[in-house]
Amino acid sequence: MNEASDVVTPDPAAWRDGVRTGTPTLFGIGAWGLVVGVAMIKSGLTLPQALGMTLLVFAGSAQLASLPLIAAGAPIWVIFTTGLVVNLRFVIFSALLAPHFRMLPWYQRLHLGFVSGDISVALFLQRYPDPAPAQGKLSYLKGLLYPNWASWQIGSIAGIFLGNVVPAEWGLGFAGTLAIICVLVPMVASRPALCGVLVAGGVSVLAAGLPYKLGLLAAVLVGMVTAMIVEEVGDKFAAKGRP
Amino acid sequence: MSDLEIWIVIVALAVSTAITRSGFWLVGHRVTIPRRVNEMLRYAPSCALAAIIGPDLLLAPESLQFTLLNGKLLAGIASVGWYLWRRNMLETIVFGMLFFTALRLLHLF
Repeated sequence: MNEASDVVTPDPAAWRDGVRTGTPTLFGIGAWGLVVGVAMIKSGLTLPQALGMTLLVFAGSAQLASLPLIAAGAPIWVIFTTGLVVNLRFVIFSALLAPHFRMLPWYQRLHLGFVSGDISVALFLQRYPDPAPAQGKLSYLKGLLYPNWASWQIGSIAGIFLGNVVPAEWGLGFAGTLAIICVLVPMVASRPALCGVLVAGGVSVLAAGLPYKLGLLAAVLVGMVTAMIVEEVGDKFAAKGRP
Repeated sequence: MSDLEIWIVIVALAVSTAITRSGFWLVGHRVTIPRRVNEMLRYAPSCALAAIIGPDLLLAPESLQFTLLNGKLLAGIASVGWYLWRRNMLETIVFGMLFFTALRLLHLF
């Protein structure tokens, strides 16, 4: 047996292991999907549009970010660019994950990449930090990814149907903001990240009047540059402190 | 937006998911990212999320006036505290919604 077949040979034990590892996160994923489902309907998408969006796009924060832009009639390229920017973290995840599965045909790589959400990637990399071939890797990844995909879609579709009967004044859309807060808090553990986030939030408010919601992109750029500057200044101080 | 335009947006967003999530799976072995760009990219997601929620927390919905004393900002801050304490996303969403709803029903804002 060569190395490549070790990685891709179906391994039921590794699959079950992946499912078991991912299970505690599924409820949170479903709730987050529910919120996005409600938000899509509340923002004025029709039932087929909302179902199409959750099944085709499968990216919660990009979907949430696009809704006010769609409502405001922003140009398609602005919405597309916003989607790319909000999804940028996946570029990093994909760069980390892809080397593990280089041997697969392109359509499988496209498919696996498309369904790999944040939490699944983090859990997979905890188990297999090294891209070297190991038995059962693919089964383990699928055991994480497919239940994650299913619970997201179930929550999201439930939200789409529930959203129609929930009165607008309940402000359920605010749950989307709360979910983003939960994703954001662990990301600002370092000083540069915290500074970048505070500056980006501030700029987004100051630039909220810009046409086509371009304030969002401006906020991201200024926030990223701020974080880099804080990091470099911090590094310099650390270097000076050394004997 | 017309129905057709919204469907074009949905397909465009699906493409943006494919580019970001599957890009490296497809062409990763042919690309090396410059170190500086790589370092910058690390901060992009958190900045983007902050920029999405900033206006919701700090601007009044209709007038777009800056406001520090509003139910969403207070509920947002309380939810950050709850999340730091409990580290549980679902609990935090429920807590934040209850907090926000209580402020709304009490007509404090």
